[in-house]
Amino acid sequence: MSTATLPSPRPGTLKRFVERYPFLPALVIAFVLLALNGLYQPRSISFTGITGLTKTYLALMMLAIAQTYVVYAGDIDLSAGAIVSLVNVVIVVMMEKMGGTGFSVIAALVVGLLTGLACGIVNGVVVAALRLQAIVATFATSIFFTGLALYVMPVAGTPAPATFWRTYGGRFFEIPFVYFAVVLLAVVLYVLARTRLATQLLAVGDDAQAAFQSGLPVTRIRIQGYALCGLFAALAAFCITGDTASGDPLVGGKMTLFSVAAVVLGGSALSGGFGTVVGSVIGALIIGLINSLVFFVGTPSEWQNLVQGLAILVALMAGVLVGRRARA
Amino acid sequence: MSKIELRGVSKAYGATLALRRGDLSIDAGEVHVLIGSNGSGKSTLCKILAGSVRPDGGEILIDGKPVTITGPRSARDHGIGIFYQELSLAGHRTVAENICLPDLPATRAGFVDRAALDARAARYIALFEAVAGEGFAAETAVENLRADQRQLVEIMKALATEAPVIIFDEPTSALDRAQVDRFFDILRDLKAQGRSIIFISHRMDEIFAIGDRVTVIRDGETVGTENISETNPSAVIRMMVGGQDELAAGNSAPPAAASTARVPVLTAKGLSGKGFANVGFEVAKGEILGFGGLHGQGQSSVLRAIFGVNPIAAGEIVLDGKPFAAGSPREAIRRGCAYVSGDRGRDGVISGRPILENVTPIHYLRQKLKLARPSALAERVKPALEALHTKFGGLSHPINSLSGGNQQKIVIARWLIDRPDVLLLDDPTKGIDLSAKADLFALIRKLAADGMGIVLYSSEDAELLNNADRILVFNGGSVRRELTGADRTRYNLYQAAYEAA
Repeated sequence: MSTATLPSPRPGTLKRFVERYPFLPALVIAFVLLALNGLYQPRSISFTGITGLTKTYLALMMLAIAQTYVVYAGDIDLSAGAIVSLVNVVIVVMMEKMGGTGFSVIAALVVGLLTGLACGIVNGVVVAALRLQAIVATFATSIFFTGLALYVMPVAGTPAPATFWRTYGGRFFEIPFVYFAVVLLAVVLYVLARTRLATQLLAVGDDAQAAFQSGLPVTRIRIQGYALCGLFAALAAFCITGDTASGDPLVGGKMTLFSVAAVVLGGSALSGGFGTVVGSVIGALIIGLINSLVFFVGTPSEWQNLVQGLAILVALMAGVLVGRRARA
Repeated sequence: MSKIELRGVSKAYGATLALRRGDLSIDAGEVHVLIGSNGSGKSTLCKILAGSVRPDGGEILIDGKPVTITGPRSARDHGIGIFYQELSLAGHRTVAENICLPDLPATRAGFVDRAALDARAARYIALFEAVAGEGFAAETAVENLRADQRQLVEIMKALATEAPVIIFDEPTSALDRAQVDRFFDILRDLKAQGRSIIFISHRMDEIFAIGDRVTVIRDGETVGTENISETNPSAVIRMMVGGQDELAAGNSAPPAAASTARVPVLTAKGLSGKGFANVGFEVAKGEILGFGGLHGQGQSSVLRAIFGVNPIAAGEIVLDGKPFAAGSPREAIRRGCAYVSGDRGRDGVISGRPILENVTPIHYLRQKLKLARPSALAERVKPALEALHTKFGGLSHPINSLSGGNQQKIVIARWLIDRPDVLLLDDPTKGIDLSAKADLFALIRKLAADGMGIVLYSSEDAELLNNADRILVFNGGSVRRELTGADRTRYNLYQAAYEAA
């Protein structure tokens, strides 16, 4: 690097770099994990392997993004996974009832987005307007949303129409569909990062009182954060429906805390005010890579959870250490 | 006609009346100074005007028309901008973003207009370019700035509102001379544009350098308004003091300690550390030494440093004739030093735990108790609580069930089971009711009479004047003046506290 040859005009170049791009440590960890995956299973880093990984973990990436917007403002959404379940069963039931045509898919997706949005707004109103504790309030709404999902589809297993999952798993112009989704996602994230809302959410997360005194409509901003979270949770549900090709009223539940972990792995502060969505995407990728690595290494099935948990802890610690060293 | 007029505005927080009757009249094109001692209601008045506090009563007129200010946004719409004393910055955001935060420039599509944002911020950054100091740039995150630089950002943010009326609530407390001079030049420009400035400062020289008129607030009430050109610092101080210059009866007698032989229990020489420099004093057995002056002039820092919370950079302390340098509160407690803070939530109360547990931690530490029987402990605890007239349901009730005053009594009671030699009181009556205060000071005087050495810092001047045998007035981190005997008057206290640092 050129900075090494200069007589170090600013001692904190690396520090400024990490401050600017807080997801760098996560990116390093993701590459290390990718290399390890390749070491144990060369095929896993082939084009097909990466495509499969993306296909499986795109849902978690979406949910991590969803979680990031509420964490920006210092809030948290423990119902994100339940929203995924609800949207999943709503769209599957709707597509099935309407006969699984192309039109029914589009209509179901629109209804799915609206469902996610509605759930997000409910969360936002409960937390920001009624001023209940975010952790407990969204835990409560998660139970409520799960209840709705069970009402819509009491038993898992209704298949999604082939039109839907064939598109998700298929190819266009020889390029897998998921990559189109990733590119579209990147554009959406780029656009969202430039909205006033992103800056306002971060300002609220930094110091809600200061933001209020500055004249920001704090309640409205927080509700908008939750609404955005609901929308991305719906997108996560689309991905998971495409991946599993069926409806399951409990499919998203265990994803909630993974999404929180992904946000933290990505370098965002749970206290709010600081973070990036790109980091959260990488964080979700790290979790995916850990899961596949545990599998490829050949861990006996009864040890897989334990090793997974340890690996996530190690990744967290590595991220903290790298970040701290770079910032010191 | 006045630009802004406040008539009989009032605000109460629970039982505490923060502002009894605030009257204020601001003309266009003037710098109007607000002055008053700690807790007199200046900041409350400003926050009401800025919309971050809702008034309970009174009326606000802008350009002669009555208005209701419903929130900070509505205040901006009415043309009022404010610099908050405690700052209103987002630490992780950049300087430029903070300056424009209240009104982020947006493109038609709703995106942040970076070019417009940078251009707008650059205008205000340029105003302070020469004095902002190293590392100050539009893209720096505010959390990486020094205290004075943050204050400059808050000033820029207030200026960026371009409001016809701008309130500055102690904008200069961290600034150096050059920065203040530059700021005053800018204020004079604003004035020339016909804008109105409300300016709060505790530095008398600044007030006379920049102000056109001065309004004095005392105990939540507007006392009067004078033209700066027709008054002088001592007249202003007399307005702040009012008619309450007499000492409480029975206390004007020479302190007991002076008559008997003075036995110093705590001596400090040349103490320096973060927030204070070269502080020296001596407390004798049975003496109450007062620390006075404006808020945050180093009084708390000295007490916390002695108690081992913060490090001491230089100087020495002697406790009971032996050198004393506590590295931690634990060590200080073992040596017989006690500390009670006004910030109960942070330093005192063990929230959510029973009263018994809240009274006994010091007892555990000093007696090195390993196991305890609640019934035996309760016996030891009772006299301490009774001495303070503490009202409580039962020892097993959680401490949060008590009022603020009674919570503070519990915190103080924990020091009474094993008596310390020295008691450091750091604004102990903050936010507690009058009767609890009276109980507290009765106890403090009794403890002194029993031979304890007490250092009392209070932000309420009456408490100091009525209880302390001697008062050291702090200003800018060091002791400006010592008041003894008949010199202990409110006038002298204010004069030493408000004179130019």
